[in-house]
Amino acid sequence: MTRLLKPFEYFEPRTVDEAVQVLSRYGNKAKVLAGGTDLLISMKKGKISPKYIVYIKDIPELDYIKYSQEVGLKIGVLATHSAIADSPIIKDKFELLATACGKVGTPQVRNMGTIGGNICQAGPSQDLPPALLVLDAKLKLVSLQGERMVSIDKFFIAPFKTALRETELLTEIRIPPLLPKSAGCYKWFTKTVAVDETLVGAAVLMSLDSTDGTCSDIKVGLCSVAPTPIRVRQAEEVLRGKKINNKLIERAAQVAAEETRPRSRANYRRRMTKVLVSAAINETWQKIR
Amino acid sequence: MKQIINFIVNGKSYELATDPHMLLVEVLRDEFGLTGTKCGCGIGHCGACTVLVDGLPTLSCLTPALTVKGKNITTVEGLAKGTTLHPIQKAFMACGAIQCGYCSPGMILSAKALLDKNPNPTRGEVKQALSGNLCRCTGYVKIIDAVLVAALTMRKGGK
Repeated sequence: MTRLLKPFEYFEPRTVDEAVQVLSRYGNKAKVLAGGTDLLISMKKGKISPKYIVYIKDIPELDYIKYSQEVGLKIGVLATHSAIADSPIIKDKFELLATACGKVGTPQVRNMGTIGGNICQAGPSQDLPPALLVLDAKLKLVSLQGERMVSIDKFFIAPFKTALRETELLTEIRIPPLLPKSAGCYKWFTKTVAVDETLVGAAVLMSLDSTDGTCSDIKVGLCSVAPTPIRVRQAEEVLRGKKINNKLIERAAQVAAEETRPRSRANYRRRMTKVLVSAAINETWQKIR
Repeated sequence: MKQIINFIVNGKSYELATDPHMLLVEVLRDEFGLTGTKCGCGIGHCGACTVLVDGLPTLSCLTPALTVKGKNITTVEGLAKGTTLHPIQKAFMACGAIQCGYCSPGMILSAKALLDKNPNPTRGEVKQALSGNLCRCTGYVKIIDAVLVAALTMRKGGK
């Protein structure tokens, strides 16, 4: 079935400056197009009919993956899920992010879709946000008025709603370097549909104290169990500063399940949260203990 | 308003005037007559519209034609050399990996992208590479067999 697009006016900025000028001129009548794997579906289904499309994928300065030990990781907003999943530096240092990117959609969707599009779409079941939450990502938002950095845990406001203003463009994702003796992982369950949407996703990042082996820091991020992706901070507190054992992990997983606010299939999602969080913490712990 | 783009389709350069809301799948089928590329679901789930853009499997039903400016597009029509089919196409025939044929162009292009990158894939890697292409007839077994047969043929330098 050929679903067609309604006509729109098309802009093809070559720089971030040009892009934010168009956005500031047209505000909510304009939509940013990158990979198109979310936007064009919404347009074809008639959910939105933007008058102006701002195609940013030809802006050369926005497609990169850079790492340094001092600053950490910088990812340009146009890096595709495939590029991130296959990046040697990300597989080596931030494996859970590569795993989450490899889970998204299908090979075609991963070749087309960008990290920035995934973040700005802000669907509650998207796989990247839990990983980015535990990695403490910061987002660089640029407008004609200048730029601001927003922490990812302040970015998601409601399902498909973010702190991004309609005149702003997300240009970069920054992830600080990991503490020594850190590891993480991302685990998920899916619905069984054509493109398997995540039913519960759990990301864990853990650091152990190098002298006494206690858990010096832990972050647990979840998707698909609340209106937005969330950190489960009470569950983290169960383990933070403690000597880890299986009983404590089970306790943390139980608390994580209680912190969720699923909108549908609540019982099942809570039970699966407990299973997944426990498995993810265990796997992470085995990597660094 | 129509805009003019230059791009390469199956090795030949073209200049095309098209509207921004025209999709690559529409342009390929309606302007170029390349009807091997199918439109299935129209929302990026089924993979029947898969073409290669600079070698990467891409959904032409979610790609405005203007966005492939300067890119290299391969459709299933670009695989055969004259009347000689590509080894993947021959393997699909030999293995009976086709029933209705609607998914085949997309399957074959996803397989080509895989084998260009990884000439000796495992069965699991083939499944992963084809996971964005749905087939409602065959149950996939013969399709996966065909890709592995093609890989073997191509590794031996066969055509």
